Amino acid sequence: MDWKKLQNIDRRIIYILLILATAVPMIRPLAIPLSTGPSVHKFYQIMDAIPAGEKVLFSLDYAPSGAPDVHPQALAVMKHMMNKGVGVVFISFWEAGPMFGEQLIRAYEEQGYEYGVHFANLGYVPGGESAIKRFGEDVAGQVSRDFRNNPVSSLPIMQGIKDTRDFAAVICFSAGNPGVQEWVRQVQGPLGINLLAGAVTVSVPQYMPYVDAGQVKAMLAGLRGAAEYETVSGNPGPSVAKMDAQSLGHLIIIAFIIVGNIAFFMDKKKQ
Amino acid sequence: MTIMAGRVTFLFTVLIMGAIVLIGVNMSQAGKWTPKIRRLAGLDAVEEAVGRATEMGAPVHFSPGIGNISDDSAPQTFAGLEVLAYVTELTAKYNTEIIVTIRQPNVFPLAQEIVRQSYLAAGRPDMFQEDTVQFLSSEQFAYAAGVMGIMNRRRIAANLMMGAFWAESLLFAEAGAQVGAIQVAGTAAMAQLPFFVAACDYTLIGEELYAAGAYLSQDKVKLGSIGSQDIVKGITMVIILVGSLLATADITIIKDLLSK
Amino acid sequence: MRREIPLVITFVVGMIVLLARIFTAADGGEFILAKWAGELTDWVIIVSAFAVGLASVNLFRIHGDIVARKRPGWINSLTLLAAIVVFAVIGIAARFGAGPFFSELNQNLYDSIISPLGAAMFAILAFYIASAAYRAFRMRNLEASVMLFAAILVMLGRAPVGELIWNQFPSIANWLVDIPNTVGQRAIMIGAAIGGFATSLRILLGIERGHLGGVE
Repeated sequence: MDWKKLQNIDRRIIYILLILATAVPMIRPLAIPLSTGPSVHKFYQIMDAIPAGEKVLFSLDYAPSGAPDVHPQALAVMKHMMNKGVGVVFISFWEAGPMFGEQLIRAYEEQGYEYGVHFANLGYVPGGESAIKRFGEDVAGQVSRDFRNNPVSSLPIMQGIKDTRDFAAVICFSAGNPGVQEWVRQVQGPLGINLLAGAVTVSVPQYMPYVDAGQVKAMLAGLRGAAEYETVSGNPGPSVAKMDAQSLGHLIIIAFIIVGNIAFFMDKKKQ
Repeated sequence: MTIMAGRVTFLFTVLIMGAIVLIGVNMSQAGKWTPKIRRLAGLDAVEEAVGRATEMGAPVHFSPGIGNISDDSAPQTFAGLEVLAYVTELTAKYNTEIIVTIRQPNVFPLAQEIVRQSYLAAGRPDMFQEDTVQFLSSEQFAYAAGVMGIMNRRRIAANLMMGAFWAESLLFAEAGAQVGAIQVAGTAAMAQLPFFVAACDYTLIGEELYAAGAYLSQDKVKLGSIGSQDIVKGITMVIILVGSLLATADITIIKDLLSK
Repeated sequence: MRREIPLVITFVVGMIVLLARIFTAADGGEFILAKWAGELTDWVIIVSAFAVGLASVNLFRIHGDIVARKRPGWINSLTLLAAIVVFAVIGIAARFGAGPFFSELNQNLYDSIISPLGAAMFAILAFYIASAAYRAFRMRNLEASVMLFAAILVMLGRAPVGELIWNQFPSIANWLVDIPNTVGQRAIMIGAAIGGFATSLRILLGIERGHLGGVE
């Protein structure tokens, strides 16, 4: 057997098998059961304890690239908040963020929810970390008009909001920086807001110290976090189906690593 | 004017750390203390990479990362820019083309000036072209696509990535590996280190990137600062160890002191 | 003077922002340094906006030149320039209330072009991770073996199929992420923070000048 060849499989073969492994379950879901972890339960309990009529802030800090991992989290939490009658205000420190805010809003507008009352999209604020700091301390001072060009002071949902402490919770859905770390450093630390996070999977290890320290109250981790939130809140949705694709994808990668190592050892033995 | 609640320790930490760094810098400058930096294979490989590009007649690609200069990734970006000055002078010496790609608009004028001045210092101002330093896009993956395109079209021979990187790290490193470029990366972005280690020839890990400027220039001021950093780190380790042991024994004196 | 002025600005601005984070007005009233720091933070945002303009000029000059000289791949450069102009015009029109037509067009352009393109780029990562993992994860020595097993355990623990194979995989993955990983992350964070502090101090005090260009 040509062990050398097995150590250098053409990357196109790997790519084709990975495409198949992820595409097939999308078309024919395998319905692999999904368990839910303590972090998601904690996240859900915090959100569920917010009384109707209160308002929460979603900081949509992601772009289309990270969206497949993070946007489903925002969708799941948004659904929960709308069902509970909690208002949702969107802000973004990434240029692409407001568009996701509009995507989240539109489905509910069609169901009769009212813009300005149940939700509002404050748009994008440039300036990264500095902008987060300023917005955190003075919401109205930083954003005078919303994404739809309405004066922020005219929106009923924004009445009584001075700084970010006036929100029952701030959830930073983040695919990188500026994101969770900046919110912790510039706003959670100085003002002590109730901060939660929805993170892209690759950033989860980086944010764990903040969760352990209590600066981030709870965190949803990637697509799996969204799928678990959907399950916990009793609304299994699209994220749960996507987890099957992730499962098979992981298995393919593991299989290639094993094949590569067997070939490596057999080759060494032969020599 | 009074100290904010909860900021007393912060103030004293800044003062003590600042004093240690300044004393270290002064002692090093006066020749009383010369900290030595161990050999960093990644930085030694930079000249080899530029040399190889020269032999192949192909350009060198340099990215100072996608971090900004106004947030916490700034130290990494500045460290990357210091390496850029060194690399530009090397390319001038070897008469090899360098392509610098930029994601942050704020970093663009700095990088342009560094490359221009470095060419000037090397006596080759004629080598600076309009497209030597290119702003590609402030959108992360549009920038990544632009960089991958340049790597493929120009068949770069050396790929140097020094600064703060996020999810695009592996895209760059794999695209570089596919065109057979010799690759040296350096970042303090923890989440991206495994990707660089897996796909690049050499990787500067965390603080090694911050030490790069001092290592390459052997400047006494910078060496003094790097040496002082280790002293501060030693003190921090002692505080953490003692604090943890005391907290385990329900004595919260250090914890209380740090939260003042 | 070319170097001294930026150094003075850096020092003054840096000190104002730093002091505003430590001190406050004794009587609880408005603190002048905090007000200045706030103003300066706003300036950063404005200067950043100008930098976008400056960078765009570079983009137009490079690609305009490629189009004008019909250099290889000029059609790509033309597409880039056209896309910048079209997206900018529609985006500005939508933002400043030119009517629902522009808002909808803007959202559609976003949903149908930018969003799938960005997602496609991100998706490439999955393939690159697979090929890089296959190439790099070899049990060459003890450290590489530990890394390999940790990676496999986390992959199995994070996907539902792992739990189907053995119900303890998620607990093992959680332990790996929560304990050894957090320990390492904290250590690197503290080390990098000290390195960042020393670098920032050197820049504030004008000891570090490499970023201003030229030989020091």
